[in-house]
Amino acid sequence: MLDAAMVREFTDLLSENGVITDEVGLRSYECDGLTGFRQVPALVVLPRDAQEVAGAVRLCAKYGMPFVARGAGTGLSGGAMPVADGVVISLQKLRRILEIDVENRRAVLEPGVYNLEISKAAAPYGLYYAPDPSSQQVCTIGGNVAENSGGAHCLKYGFTTNHVLEMEVVLADGSVVTLGGPTGEQAGPDLRGLFIGSEGTLGVCTKVTVRLLQTPETVRTVLADFPSIEAAGDTVGDIVDAAIVPAAVEMMDSLAMEASEAATGAGLTVDSPAALIIELDGPGDEVEAEFEHLTAICERHGATRLHVPTEAEERQKVWKGRKAAFAAVGRISPDYIVQDGVVPRTRLAEVLTRIAEMGRDADLRVANVFHAGDGNLHPLVLYSEAAGEHDAAEKLSTDIAELCVELGGSLSGEHGIGTDKACSMPAMFSEDDLGVMHRVRLAFDPDSRCNPGKLFPTPRLCGERPGKYAPHPLEEAGVIERL
Amino acid sequence: MTSHPTTGPSPDFSSERGEKPAPERADVLGGDFGSFDDHRPPAQELLDDCVHCGFCLPTCPTYALWGEEMDSPRGRIYLMEMAEKGEIPLEGAFTTHIDRCLGCMACVTACPSGVQYDRLLEATRPQIERHVPRSRADRLFREAIFALFPYKRRLRAASIGGALYQKLRPKSMDKVMAKLPSRLAAMESLLPPVRVREAFARIPARTPAIGPRRGRVGLLTGCVQDVFFHPVNEATVRVLAAEGWDVIAPREQTCCGALGLHAGREPEAVERAKKLIATFERAEVDTIATNVAGCGSSMKEYGELLADDPAWAERAQAFAAKVRDISEVVDETLADPRARRHPIEATVVYHDACHLGHAQKIRSEPRRVLRAIPGVELVELPEAELCCGSAGIYNMLQPEAAGDLGRRKAGNIRGTGADVLVTANPGCLLQIRKYLEGELPMLHPIQLVDASIRGVRPPEMG
Amino acid sequence: MSTTVTPTTVDDLRDAVLDRPGTLRVAGAGTAADWAGTPAPADTVLDLTGLRGIVTHNPGDMTVEVRAGTPFASLQEEVGEHHQRVAVDPARAAAGATLGGLFATADSGPRALQYGSLRDLVIGATIVLADGTVARSGGHVIKNVAGYDLTKVLHGAHGTLGVIAGLVLRLHPSPQATATVAVPCDRAASGDLARRIADSPAEAVAVQWHADRLLAMVEGSESGADARARRLTDAVGGELLSPDDAGAAWEAHAAAVDRRGDRAVLRLGVIPSALTGVLDGLEADSGGLADVTTSPRTGVATVSLPADADVVAAAHRRVAEAGGTSTLRQRPAGAELPAFGPAPASAVVLRAVAASLDPDQRLGRGRLSPWIPEPTGVTA
Repeated sequence: MLDAAMVREFTDLLSENGVITDEVGLRSYECDGLTGFRQVPALVVLPRDAQEVAGAVRLCAKYGMPFVARGAGTGLSGGAMPVADGVVISLQKLRRILEIDVENRRAVLEPGVYNLEISKAAAPYGLYYAPDPSSQQVCTIGGNVAENSGGAHCLKYGFTTNHVLEMEVVLADGSVVTLGGPTGEQAGPDLRGLFIGSEGTLGVCTKVTVRLLQTPETVRTVLADFPSIEAAGDTVGDIVDAAIVPAAVEMMDSLAMEASEAATGAGLTVDSPAALIIELDGPGDEVEAEFEHLTAICERHGATRLHVPTEAEERQKVWKGRKAAFAAVGRISPDYIVQDGVVPRTRLAEVLTRIAEMGRDADLRVANVFHAGDGNLHPLVLYSEAAGEHDAAEKLSTDIAELCVELGGSLSGEHGIGTDKACSMPAMFSEDDLGVMHRVRLAFDPDSRCNPGKLFPTPRLCGERPGKYAPHPLEEAGVIERL
Repeated sequence: MTSHPTTGPSPDFSSERGEKPAPERADVLGGDFGSFDDHRPPAQELLDDCVHCGFCLPTCPTYALWGEEMDSPRGRIYLMEMAEKGEIPLEGAFTTHIDRCLGCMACVTACPSGVQYDRLLEATRPQIERHVPRSRADRLFREAIFALFPYKRRLRAASIGGALYQKLRPKSMDKVMAKLPSRLAAMESLLPPVRVREAFARIPARTPAIGPRRGRVGLLTGCVQDVFFHPVNEATVRVLAAEGWDVIAPREQTCCGALGLHAGREPEAVERAKKLIATFERAEVDTIATNVAGCGSSMKEYGELLADDPAWAERAQAFAAKVRDISEVVDETLADPRARRHPIEATVVYHDACHLGHAQKIRSEPRRVLRAIPGVELVELPEAELCCGSAGIYNMLQPEAAGDLGRRKAGNIRGTGADVLVTANPGCLLQIRKYLEGELPMLHPIQLVDASIRGVRPPEMG
Repeated sequence: MSTTVTPTTVDDLRDAVLDRPGTLRVAGAGTAADWAGTPAPADTVLDLTGLRGIVTHNPGDMTVEVRAGTPFASLQEEVGEHHQRVAVDPARAAAGATLGGLFATADSGPRALQYGSLRDLVIGATIVLADGTVARSGGHVIKNVAGYDLTKVLHGAHGTLGVIAGLVLRLHPSPQATATVAVPCDRAASGDLARRIADSPAEAVAVQWHADRLLAMVEGSESGADARARRLTDAVGGELLSPDDAGAAWEAHAAAVDRRGDRAVLRLGVIPSALTGVLDGLEADSGGLADVTTSPRTGVATVSLPADADVVAAAHRRVAEAGGTSTLRQRPAGAELPAFGPAPASAVVLRAVAASLDPDQRLGRGRLSPWIPEPTGVTA
C-alpha cells in the first residue's frame, strides 16, 4: 500500500503539480470513456517528459505497484480504468510535437499529442496523418498506439500499426527501449507491431514517430440515401467488386441519423432508412473516373438522394455528422451502449438482420453506425437505466459482439478489449491462443504490473460467468499466471 | 507483489453509464440534492447528458494548460455529480476547480451530446457563493471588483486615477509592483490607457437615423465599454445611424449584471436585470443592441434567470427576444446596405470572444460584416476556440492561468502576421493588449466598419 | 545429421514438433537459406513446402487464408484470377519463395513505398510453438484489435520463436494498368529527384534507383496510369517506358536485389535523408559497393560488399550509427559473417520473448545471433 513516504518520492521526482493525492482528484480519474467501470486509483501522476515517466515507472517497480498509462481517457472499453492500489500515469502533459520532418515525411510526437493536431501541424506542408478515429480531435497518439486505432479512412490507409515507424517505450521495470526503426525495414522480429494494440499491457509509450502522407490531390465525397439497409449494403458490395478502394465507406441507419442531425445539422436525411458516406481520394483524373462509376452504382441500387459536397467546409460538415454520431445518440436515448464488432464485409446484411431480430426480441432499439467498407459495426443499444433496462441492454450488446465472432469476425474493430470485453475473449480465442499471448505479456512485464486486469479474461472479472473459462493447463503447470 | 485486485468493488458488467453505488458519507450528505441546497441546483437531467466522451477536453483552456481531469469540463461535471450525490462537499477541491473554470463555454460548442454546461455552471456558482465561506482576502477582493466594475461613475473615477497614475508612475514602481500579490498586480496591469475626455464622454440619448428609417435600436452602452472604450460606443452609434436606425441610449441604464451572473452572484444579477428590462421597456425599441459579447450573452438569458418570478418572467422573455449583438444587427443590413464602404487595405485577424462565439454561437456574422469592407483580408487564428484568459473577471481572480492563456493567445495572434486585431469584447481587448501592447492595433469590429463608412483610417492605424 | 520431415497439415506439423527431439530448423523453398545468422546444425529440418495451398479465399471480403508453404507466385496467380493481389512484390518470389518464408524474412519489394511489407498485409496467423502449442492470432477480418497482434513478432524472426503454419492476408484489387517512368541520374541526385516525384500528385507506388536510373511506377486505370506517368515526366523529365522495357527494367532491378554470388549482401534501412551519406560511407569503408538498389523515399537499400567479416561488421556499425537497421541477406558458402549490427536496447525484450515462447531455443538456433545468443553447453 501507498504510504506518505512513497508519495513523497513521487513528489520529489516529478515537476510541480505532478502528483494528485486528494480524494476529489483521484476520483476524477476513476474511469475513462466507459463510465460503467470505475476504480479509484491510489495515486495519479502527471509527468512532464519521458524521463519523468520512466522515473515514475521505476518507482512503481520499486514498490511493486501496478500502473495504468492514460491519455485523454476517451477509450470505450475501460482500457484506462485504474487499478486498485495502483498508479495512474497521465500522459496529458506530454503534448509536444517534437518534429515535423517534411523532407522525410515523418512526425515525432510525445504521446499526449491529439491525433488531429498532427494533421493540423503537417497541413502547411501538404501532408497529413492518415488514421482518423472518430474521436480524433481529442484522442491522443499514445492512446492510438495502445489501441491500434483505425478510423473512417482505414479501409484504404490502414491502422495505427501501418503508420507508426518507431516508438520509445518505458518497460515495466522503468528501462527505456526503442521499438521499430526509421523505416518500415527492420532487422529482427517486429516488436513494434506487437506493442501496438497491446492496450497498455506491455509498457508505456513516451515518443512516437509516425509517417505522414501527402494530401491527396482530389477528394470526392458523396452522401447517398438508400431506401433500405440492404440496398446500401449491396452498393458497398458492388463498389468492392468494381475494384474501387474508397478512402472510406460509412453507413448510418435512420436512428443514428436522427441523433446526429439533431447534434450537428450536417444535412443528413432523417427519415431515410440508410445512408452511405463514400469518399474517394487520389490523383484527379482517377478519382473523377471512379467517382462517376461510384455514383452510377449508387443510382443502380435506388439511391434516393446523392448529396455531393463541393466545398471542403461542406465535406467536413458531412463528416461531422458521421463522427459525432456516437455521442449524439445521447439525445435520443437516456442511456446507450456502443458496441464495436467486426464481420467479414460479405456478411453485413446477415448480421444486420440478426441484430434487428435480437433487438426486437429484447424489446430494445438498436441504432447502427458503421464502417461498411471493412465490416466494422457500431450497433448502439438504446435503453433506459431508469426503466430498469440496463441488464437486458448489456446482454444484447454482448450477444451482438459474440455474434460477430460467430460469423467469422472479431470482438473489436477499434475500441479494444479493455475491461469491457475481456470476458468475451474466450469466444474468439482458444485457451492456447490466450495462453501464448499471456506468455508474451510476461516476457515484457513479468509481474503483470502494466495495466493488469485488461484484455485477458480473469477469474475475478469473469467469475460470474461459469463455463466460459477454465484454468489453462499452463496456468496449472505454473508457467503462466492470471491475475 | 505479483497480483492485484483488478476491478472495482463490484465488477458488474454494466458497460455504459452504469451507476456506481454512492459511498455512505453521512458527514456531507445533505438533502435530496446532496451537497447542494434546493435552490436551483444543477439539474440531474443536465448532468446525465454527459457521456464522458471527452470531446470537450482540447477546447478547455484550463485543460489545455494543465491537462488535469478535474480542471476539464468533463471533470467538473463529474465533480458536480459527486456533489449532487453528496459524496463530496462543496468546500475545498470542488470550489477550487469550479473557480478555475473561465466560463468560456468552448466545451458547449465542442460537445456532441448537447450538454448544457453553461446552465450547469450557472447553477453551481451561486451554490458556492451561498455555502462556501471565502478567505478574508478573497472576499475583499471580490467585493472590491463588484463594487467597482458595474458602476460607471466609480469606473470613471478609477480611470482618472489610472490615467494620471499611468502618466506619473515612476520606474521605481516596477519593483514595488513585482512584490504586490499577483491578483492586485493583475488588476493594475489591466487598466488600459484612457483619455480623460473619453472617460467622461456620454453617448447621446437619441441619435436619428440617416436617410430612410429601418427602425429603433436601443443601445446598451455598458460599464467598462463606455468608460474605457468610449470610441467603440461612438462608432456603434454612427454605424447604426448610417445604416438607417434611430439609436436610443437611455441615460438611466445601468449594468446588465453579466459580471456578477457569471461569477455566481445571482441575487445581484437578478436585480440588475429587472432594472435594465424596465429601462428599455420605457425606451420602446424594436431591438436591443450591444457591442459587448459578455453583456449580450447574459441579456439573452434573462428569460431563464427570471423564469421563476411570475411578475417578471414574461417581461424578461420579451426583452431577451429583442437582444442582438451589434454584428447581428449590421449583418442583417448587408443584404440592403445604406452606407457605402470605403476600402481599408489590411490583413485583419478576428478573435472570437467566448461569449459571442461559444455562448451566442455568433461566428459568421462578424466575419461577414468585416468581409463586406473592401480591401479587408480576414485571417483565421490557430486555436481560435481557446479563451484568451479574460473571461469576465477571471484574469483578476486567477491571474496565473489567465496570464498563461493570454501569452498563448498573443503568440497565436502574432503568428498570423495580421495588421490589426479585432474582437467584440472589451475584456478580451484589455487582456490581449496586456500581452501585445504596441505590437499591433486592436479594435472592435464596429470601429473598422465605422472607419470604412466614414472613409477615414481606423483608430490606431495611422 | 538432420532428418527432414515434411508435414502437410497443421496437425502433422504440431506432431512433428512434439515427436522430434532436439533442435528444429524451418525450411521453405530455400531461397533465403543464407540470410541472417548462420543456422546451427539442427536435429530436424521442418520442410514446410508440403503445407501448401489456399485454405479460404472469399473475393468479396478481399481476404485469403494461405498455408505457409505456398509459393508466393502461385498464390498471386490464384487470387489474380479474381483481379486481386497481395500487394507486395519481393524479388525472391520469382525464385519460388514461399509466403511463410517471405514473412519470416521480412522481405518486401519496390511497392513497399505504397503498400508496406507483408507485416502490413497480414491480418491473422496460425503458429506452432516449440512445445507443440498451436495458437491463432488476429482473424479473417481486416479490422480487428482483439488480443495481441502476435503475428507481428514472427515477421523478421527468421524461423525462431515459433513456426508459421498459415497466414491470413488482406488483398487489394489488381490495377488495370501500370506504367513506369525512368529518369537517368546518379545515386547522389536520386534523393532530390525522388522527392520531386513524391511531391507530384501522380502517387507513384514505387520509386527505386538502380543502374543509374530512377524508376517510378504508377498504377491505375487503363488510361489513367499512362496519363499520370506523363505528368511525372512533365514534372521531372525522363521517359515513359514501353511495357516491355518497363518489365525488363524491373526484372533487372529484382535480379540485382536477389543477386546470388560470392559477395555479402546487406539490406539496410535508414532515415531517407541519410541514405546517400550512409551509402557513400559504406562505399568508402568497404572499398566498393555493387548491385546497389535503393528506395530513396523509404530509405531502404540493398547492396553487396566483399564477404569479409570485418567489412560487414563495419557496415552494420555505420548503419547503426546513422540510427538505421541492417540485415545480412546473403552469406556466401563457408563465410562467417555478422548477420546484424550492434544489439539495440530492445534486444533484452526480444530475448525475454524468445525465452518465453521457445525456452529451449529449439527453433532456428543461430538465426538471430547475436541478438539472441545461442545457448552454451546445453542441448535441447
